Amino acid sequence: MGQYVDRVIEDLRAAAAWDLTMPRLVDSIYLGGGTPSLLPPELLKALFSSIREQFQVSDAAEITVECAPGQLADDALAAMLDCGVNRISFGVQSFIDQEAKASGRLHTRAIALEDIRRVQQVGVQRINADLIAGLPHQTAASWSESLAVLVNSGVDHASVYMLEVDDDSRLGREVLNGGARYFAPAIPSDDAIADMYVEAVDVLAQHGLEQYEISNFARGGAASLHNKRYWLRKPYLGLGVDAHSMLHSATGEPVRFAATDDLESYLAAPGWDERRILSLQEELEEAWFLGLRLCDGVSLRELECEFGMDVAEGSRLIVKELIGDGLLEMRGDRILLTSRGRMLSNNVFERFLSLGEVVV
Amino acid sequence: MDRKLIRNFAIIAHIDHGKSTLSDRLLELTGSLTAREMQAQVLDAMDLERERGITIKAHSVRMMYPAKDGTTYQLNLIDTPGHVDFSYEVSRSLASCEGALLVVDASQGVEAQTLANAYLAINHGLEIIPVINKIDLPSADVVRTQEMIEQAVGLDATDAIPVSAKTGLGVPDILEAIVHRLPPPAGDASAPLQALIFDSWFDAYRGVIVLARIINGRLRKGAKIRLMSNGKVFDVESMGVLTPKPVEITELSAGEVGFFVATIKNVADTKIGDTVTEDNRPASEPLPGFEDIKSMVFAGIYTVDSHEHTLLRDALEKLRLNDSSFFFEPESSVALGFGFRCGFLGLLHMEIIQERLEREFNLDLITTAPGVRYQVTMTDGTRLEVDNPSRWPDPSEIEKIEEPIITAMILTNEEYVGGILKLVEEKRGRQKNFEYVTPTRVMLTYELPLNEIVLDFYDRLKSVSRGYASLDYHLSGTWDSPMVKMDILVSGEPVDALSIIVHREFAYERGRALVSKMRELIPRQQFEVAIQAAIGSKVVARETVSALRKNVLAKCYGGDISRKRKLLEKQKEGKKRMKRIGKVDIPQEAFLAVLKVGEDSNR
Repeated sequence: MGQYVDRVIEDLRAAAAWDLTMPRLVDSIYLGGGTPSLLPPELLKALFSSIREQFQVSDAAEITVECAPGQLADDALAAMLDCGVNRISFGVQSFIDQEAKASGRLHTRAIALEDIRRVQQVGVQRINADLIAGLPHQTAASWSESLAVLVNSGVDHASVYMLEVDDDSRLGREVLNGGARYFAPAIPSDDAIADMYVEAVDVLAQHGLEQYEISNFARGGAASLHNKRYWLRKPYLGLGVDAHSMLHSATGEPVRFAATDDLESYLAAPGWDERRILSLQEELEEAWFLGLRLCDGVSLRELECEFGMDVAEGSRLIVKELIGDGLLEMRGDRILLTSRGRMLSNNVFERFLSLGEVVV
Repeated sequence: MDRKLIRNFAIIAHIDHGKSTLSDRLLELTGSLTAREMQAQVLDAMDLERERGITIKAHSVRMMYPAKDGTTYQLNLIDTPGHVDFSYEVSRSLASCEGALLVVDASQGVEAQTLANAYLAINHGLEIIPVINKIDLPSADVVRTQEMIEQAVGLDATDAIPVSAKTGLGVPDILEAIVHRLPPPAGDASAPLQALIFDSWFDAYRGVIVLARIINGRLRKGAKIRLMSNGKVFDVESMGVLTPKPVEITELSAGEVGFFVATIKNVADTKIGDTVTEDNRPASEPLPGFEDIKSMVFAGIYTVDSHEHTLLRDALEKLRLNDSSFFFEPESSVALGFGFRCGFLGLLHMEIIQERLEREFNLDLITTAPGVRYQVTMTDGTRLEVDNPSRWPDPSEIEKIEEPIITAMILTNEEYVGGILKLVEEKRGRQKNFEYVTPTRVMLTYELPLNEIVLDFYDRLKSVSRGYASLDYHLSGTWDSPMVKMDILVSGEPVDALSIIVHREFAYERGRALVSKMRELIPRQQFEVAIQAAIGSKVVARETVSALRKNVLAKCYGGDISRKRKLLEKQKEGKKRMKRIGKVDIPQEAFLAVLKVGEDSNR
């Protein structure tokens, strides 16, 4: 682990010298990847001191660490507080023990609630809990129960993800192959998952957790600044295995790149995949498919300012059609997904992709 | 060469009974090809032929065989296509021979295809040598196979030659039998030229190449020839024989088989079965048996991307250079745009053309449901030929409809008869004969509408018999039938490319099965999609594809953006391969749903 943190610090120092525009004032730091809470206190401290060495961290910065419930030791929590961590995100997934176990989690509801209480007790009020709709064995009733436990736990932020069946997870692959491992046959139907999501939106809102993005909910003002950066296309520097970055070139074009996703190669040498400079068209596409994720939607006037009247004009036709289909709506000069549009957001997003042809 | 030393023969065999392997073995034994030159199954040259294990085009190979009597004989093997779609071509190949090897798998026994071709050969007066192949397999039963040949084909099988083409065992006996049991060709080399065309194709370097058997007279390099069906005259530029490598010669005389290249530009001029004669000394009559090839099965072919329409036209034109047995003409569909109405010899032929278009020309195609050509008599007495549902006349003006009928021979094991009878009844069949050819093998002879055969008959037959039934058929007239046009409506709009012609009494059932299959094939969309089958204004069946509830990328953070973009692009690409009709995306296979209707009911 020490070696890994050394490598991250090395990259952190190297990054300062890149020919890319690097914002010096940092307003958000996020330690993700599931279990950074397992990092020994001294390594955590080393990491934060080198961040503060290279960058100026704003006093109001949002500093989040992800934790797996049951894997947050007291000394680690204390070290986090020392480093300025003010937000904790728990990968709960389900408050039903059977479901958590079936999806390979080690925690129970009691452990998760206890961790939330401990964090609250030491003064961290900004807490997120993740839930997944569509886990094996999940039912409408068990889902309602998970939601009820979440709203009563006092967290100020929730992320609700509908299970994605794809090649990126072992469960997803098993479902695709029609296999029976990982309780794949016990996952709820697509329509049942859709119902769970609809219920979550309602129940969370009733308890003050308002939806602000397709999968994210927060009490007034508690929306994650960090995540909003992604959807608003603000620059970010990612460090570590498979960490992605989006920064701007000296001439102002957005550049996307990532570190290798192979741990051994990552440890062996600094290395980044090829930088991809986004074309104006790609930027516009991102503005739509990222911006529409937010409940605030996308401002047509802002788009025109950024991309020019004629480029934005091409989008207008698509918008008009999608409004006709009941998937988008217009509020003032902002375009937003309707609640049906949110459920079918991929159908909306793909319309804005040109697949290489220029949409004008 | 002395005619007495020539033997022309064909090989008749069912798919997988070892025809190609046996041909290879004969080539090897006669030294026509060294082992090093042997590429497995030399004669099936097209990729598709190798993959499917079938012969699509006819070929001929000349082998020189030094027999045990000390004389060297010229053996011409004429390889015939092995599928019922090509039965006319088979008959012309057989007409070029004096004898045939009837190859039967020692464990599978006689199949319908073998039987039909064996009868065809007998009718052409060919001498037949039964060969029992695959005797190396543990399940081989030579005696039973012998009995079956005698009972089913009616041939004396006492002298049947047991062989294993795979190991080569017994194959030399075949060569001796060809020499001693088959007659040499008749014919008069001094008479006016009569040569039978049994295949032709277009070669990019040499132009049209014609394979022919000289029945009478001589064909010489430089001669001015006339094709008797169309009177066209050409100069023979070169000629030769395939050994299987082409070897140039200057003359072919009565009894011989070879190829020639003349100043022919268009392969459609060289019709199979036509007679070649000399322009300045023409034969008084053409050889018997010539028929103009008629398309039996018709379908529309469209590109998914309507911008590729001209590419499709170019591809069809190029393919036709090689295969004059399919035709195409432009047609247009409200739903699919511009495309082509194509006519084929049969369903396999249609699949082959479609596959070649997609593979060799890299086109994404939509093929509409195959159908047949109806003779429609109108109330005012005029007669129409209709092969396209979109041209179906107003029912109130139709007096009578005649549909093409085939006579099918189905050979199967006793235990599958029940299932097959049920199938042929469902397909409107009428029994002509029911015969036990051996104590356990049954030959069913049925009259069936061709329309029913082109839909899903093969697949259904295969599944009800677990593969233990074989089928052969030939066109045998027409029936007056009350056919109606069934339209398919998607979200209330009729989709012309989905219309089919069905028998009135079976319309409800077909409609129900068809819309239910379409419901499976059309993915859920943003809106509920109604699929209806209607006859005129009357809806006979309805199914609903319920609306898609969710299509969401739940997680999308910093590391996911590029990956999610790819996912969205993939989704969009997938939709591009579907045809958007109104607001509904319809996948290619839904246009052929009618071919898949029977699939589930059998599982």
